[in-house]
Amino acid sequence: MGYKNYSDEEEEDDDVEEEEAEDVEDEEEEVEEEDEEEEEERSRKRKFKGSQFIDDVAEEDDDEDEEEEEAPRKRRHRRASEFIDDTAAVASDDDEEEMEGEEDFIHDEGPDLADEEDRGRKHHRAMLPEDDQQENVEDLEKFIQQRYGRQEYEEFDEAETTDVEQQALLPSVRDPKLWMVKCQIGHEREASICLMQKFMDMDMQGKPLLIKSAIALDHLKGYLYVESEKEAYVRESIRGMRMILQREVKLVPIKEMTDVLSVEKKSVDIDQDTWVRVKNGVYKGDLAKVVDVDHVRQRATIKLIPRVDLQALALKMNEGSIKGSKDDAKNRPRPAPRFINVQELQDLKISIERKRDPNHAGEYFEFFGGMQFKDGYLYKGVSLKSIDSNGVVPSFDELQKFQKPTDEGGPDTMGLPTALMSKRKGLFVKGDAVIVVQGDLKNLMGYVEKVDDDDVFVRPKDKELKGSTLAFKDRQLCKFFKTGDHVKVVAGTHEGATGMIVRVDLGSVVILSDTTKEDIKVFTANIVESSEVTSGLNKLGDYELHDLVLLDQSTVGVIVRVEKDSCQVLKGTPERAEVVTVKLRDMRKKLFDRNTNAQDRDSNVVSLKDIVRVVEGPFKGREGPVEHINRGILFIHDRHHLENGGFLCVRGLWCVALGGSRNGIDRGGRQARNNNFNGGFQAPANYLQSPRRTPNHFNHPGGGGGHGGSTFGGRQAGRRRDHGLVGTTVKIRIGPFKGYRGRVVDATDIDVRIELESQMKVVTVRRDQLSDPVGTPYHNGGGASYRESPRYGAGSETPMHPSRTPMHPAFMTPMRDPSATPIHDGMRTPMRDRAWNPHTAMNTPLRDNSWDDANPSTWGHSGTPQYQPGTPGGRQYEAPTPGGGGWANTPGASFSEAGTPSVSTGPSYGNPASPYLPGTPGGPPMTPGVPSYLPSTPGGQPMTPGTGGLDPTSPASGLSGLEIESKWGLPEIVVTVRKAGEESQIGVIHEAMPDGTCRVAMGPSGEGEIIVATHSELELVVPKKTDRIKIVSGELRRSTGKLIGIDGADGIVKMDDTLDIKILDMSSLGKMVAN
Amino acid sequence: MGTQSAAQIPTSFGKELRACLRCSLVKTYKQFTDVGCENCPFFNMDQDNDRVLDCTTPNFAGVIASMDPTSSWAARWQRISKFVPGCYALSVTGLLPEEMAAICEYNNVRYVPRS
Repeated sequence: MGYKNYSDEEEEDDDVEEEEAEDVEDEEEEVEEEDEEEEEERSRKRKFKGSQFIDDVAEEDDDEDEEEEEAPRKRRHRRASEFIDDTAAVASDDDEEEMEGEEDFIHDEGPDLADEEDRGRKHHRAMLPEDDQQENVEDLEKFIQQRYGRQEYEEFDEAETTDVEQQALLPSVRDPKLWMVKCQIGHEREASICLMQKFMDMDMQGKPLLIKSAIALDHLKGYLYVESEKEAYVRESIRGMRMILQREVKLVPIKEMTDVLSVEKKSVDIDQDTWVRVKNGVYKGDLAKVVDVDHVRQRATIKLIPRVDLQALALKMNEGSIKGSKDDAKNRPRPAPRFINVQELQDLKISIERKRDPNHAGEYFEFFGGMQFKDGYLYKGVSLKSIDSNGVVPSFDELQKFQKPTDEGGPDTMGLPTALMSKRKGLFVKGDAVIVVQGDLKNLMGYVEKVDDDDVFVRPKDKELKGSTLAFKDRQLCKFFKTGDHVKVVAGTHEGATGMIVRVDLGSVVILSDTTKEDIKVFTANIVESSEVTSGLNKLGDYELHDLVLLDQSTVGVIVRVEKDSCQVLKGTPERAEVVTVKLRDMRKKLFDRNTNAQDRDSNVVSLKDIVRVVEGPFKGREGPVEHINRGILFIHDRHHLENGGFLCVRGLWCVALGGSRNGIDRGGRQARNNNFNGGFQAPANYLQSPRRTPNHFNHPGGGGGHGGSTFGGRQAGRRRDHGLVGTTVKIRIGPFKGYRGRVVDATDIDVRIELESQMKVVTVRRDQLSDPVGTPYHNGGGASYRESPRYGAGSETPMHPSRTPMHPAFMTPMRDPSATPIHDGMRTPMRDRAWNPHTAMNTPLRDNSWDDANPSTWGHSGTPQYQPGTPGGRQYEAPTPGGGGWANTPGASFSEAGTPSVSTGPSYGNPASPYLPGTPGGPPMTPGVPSYLPSTPGGQPMTPGTGGLDPTSPASGLSGLEIESKWGLPEIVVTVRKAGEESQIGVIHEAMPDGTCRVAMGPSGEGEIIVATHSELELVVPKKTDRIKIVSGELRRSTGKLIGIDGADGIVKMDDTLDIKILDMSSLGKMVAN
Repeated sequence: MGTQSAAQIPTSFGKELRACLRCSLVKTYKQFTDVGCENCPFFNMDQDNDRVLDCTTPNFAGVIASMDPTSSWAARWQRISKFVPGCYALSVTGLLPEEMAAICEYNNVRYVPRS
């Protein structure tokens, strides 16, 4: 009797049975081959059975037999472990004949049935002969039941599954599918339970639902999974269920099925002394420590820093509760966390009851207002559900706050860092200096030798113990650092920062950050010794350090520190410096304030990078450049301010712009910008434009309006408009609108608004995204693009020029001759003294700065290339921009007025002149040799002779063109002439023509033929010591002198007329021909 | 399996629900005290109501209504395919107390923690 035998065997060695069976199988293998034919039929049947088992269907089949019997379970579960035998038995008894027809099917399935099936089959074979002899299965069953009846619940063994076996349960195509249905949010669980109920009910009615299961996930709101073979069944089952939305039934791909059921384990490691965070209520987000847990009742007592509004409480208690006070409480802001002070309570006449709490070991607690306090902490009973212990890692600040100032060094201080440390694995690495903080060997120091799963092996420093290695648990150890160590933070909010340890406490250290120069406190667990100096984090998502961000509708702030997943933001509250930690998601957006301005106390316009001094408010006395502006609030960076990365937030009205004037009259270049705001021409009339401002304008298209030609178009506010382009048809070269053509409706330096031809819409595109006809002053290289501009090409040039021609003489002549002189001698000089000199000291750094990041905007226009074309003068006007349009219109009028010789009023002449005379090399009226050019322009200074930037074709020329005054040419200066395709030659400028060209006599002393060259073809010859020089730029232009020494980029010049010794930029010195 | 062998269906959906630590069956506290756990009768929760607290927990996540455990993949994956139809938890936190684990052993039932 095979069954009996098998059972005996089983009895003896329950666990080994399968292995043994396998052995038998191995032996049988050969026999099997021999008997193959004989056995074929039978084995097939067995195979089938096997497959059924794997499908879990077999059981059902068998159930039919079994359920009639008394002990179905037992047999079933027996089979669960030894199903092979059972199967065989059943197969041989009942199925042998009937199964024949299904053989093909069986064969197909054969290969799918992995080794399990294989094993099973062989096993059967071993048993088979006896099997055949087995006649009365029922007897056998009875026998087994008798024998193993005791093991009534053994069937549950199947519940046991290892991870590997779990893999075998991965869904296959033959499994029912999961369908995702939408349901009402919050009713997921209910829906699944209702489906269960419905299933039962329908089953009773004999109309069973064909769904297998319904799954509600706690973490997935609004969805329910239903398992079934067909979508139709799912729809059928959910029909009429009100919490399930009927419409959407979505199939879950097989690959994702397991993900559905992979539920994040709910952690209940809430235990005494666990750090938790409160999930809701007034303490939401607050750190709390668990004092006591009642897992059965799902409640915990936690210890918190109270947020109690004592005033309100006192009021309520003393006056009796007034109706509606609850509403008040809701509207009142959340009280700040503060420890309760008994003295304070007494002052407020809040009655305190002091009594033992039997729940807490009879300790004394203070009771008032329905709350329970001890040592200033609030003890609160909460539901375990309302606290979160998952991944709660209190920051140092929090812990410090949680620590009552009084109980310094209490058990908490000691406990915290170590408790925290022990939570994390891999803290120690070989070579770490450690100190033992727990156990017999406390305070033993040593170095980590080896780390394994549980233990850290430490080589003690102590001489007596040298050579031995001791094993510690990682919680017994603490990293050891000395003051002065340079470390890197490897975890926590300050992750990535490096610095030097300035103080060591137990478990924590204070680091002087390399970047921010601020003290940061970190746990020793989170630092490693490192010589690395990093800048720390300076980017978080799209936000970077020092960005201006919008926090909510009305609040802005500057990011002053970037942490791992949050930023510290200095809020735009000038009244007090308020720094908040903001999570990435809480930042609405980055603000760009490049074009914003504010006013200072004297109504001077302040823009970015302006240096201001704070004269009022909490930050009185501070000064620094304006980094951000928002609604009249300035963010200033003061290097000497040690908090918040040097950032200050002040009101514009509390500041004075340095270099600005009190009466608002002599306010230098800021005026240029004022133009834009005042929208008129009269503003500049009174002031002289200082070169100080000019560099800045490059940064700000808005400021650009103050420049040269654009001043004429000064009516536009803030942004320079290029009317010349408006109305033209352009094609967009790149970007989302690539290939579209459209009419320009508006244009600025940077953007062009184009009404598309093919779509009813107006789009804004960058200039450099337009195809060539439009060109961009920046990228296409000035002159070249303008030359190609359709406007000029279309012949409009001709009519325009005539219109202009009269203008040239009209204003140029006077400028050069009669009125120029007065300007310089009479009116300019005093103004210069007033306006410029005070600034010069400061200008230099500013200028340098600005050059670095200057957009080749305005200067680019005035760059040499533009003078290339045949009629350079003309170009200039219509070129880059406003010049063109503006010129012809309003300003033109005032100019002709001003320019006419008849206008002999010096001062009034000064009006129009000021905006462009000084600061604008490219200013329209500037022609070489114009005396009015004399005022020093920053542009002239940095010029370096020999720069290749004069190459007109190179876009770079725009940049280098910046640095040179466009028409510096003066007679008698020795130059190098570089004509395209010719060798460079030395020549002497014979005459500088008003149109920007020079007549140059070739040869070192000017005896050769005279040619005409543009400035771009000319380069100054660098004078040598003792050479006679002529100053080509700056306020001393045209003056002559002798170079008596060279100091780097500066030349020491002895002036001819005054015999003064001056130190001038070498680039402004031109060598004079020796005579 | 026939419906007659199905487990009780939870009568509420709220906090009263508890899950059996061994088989993860979900019912209300009262249902456990009244009837015990259909899969784990050897705990005799219906007779000793204190055992309900020991053997069940409210700390569970997710609910799966297992209607046809034998053919359901989800039930198989959840290792509840051998249990009676009913509502089960997707994950149960907590361990059976040693005493209860011993009872399992005594009844020749291997206890595999559900968490």
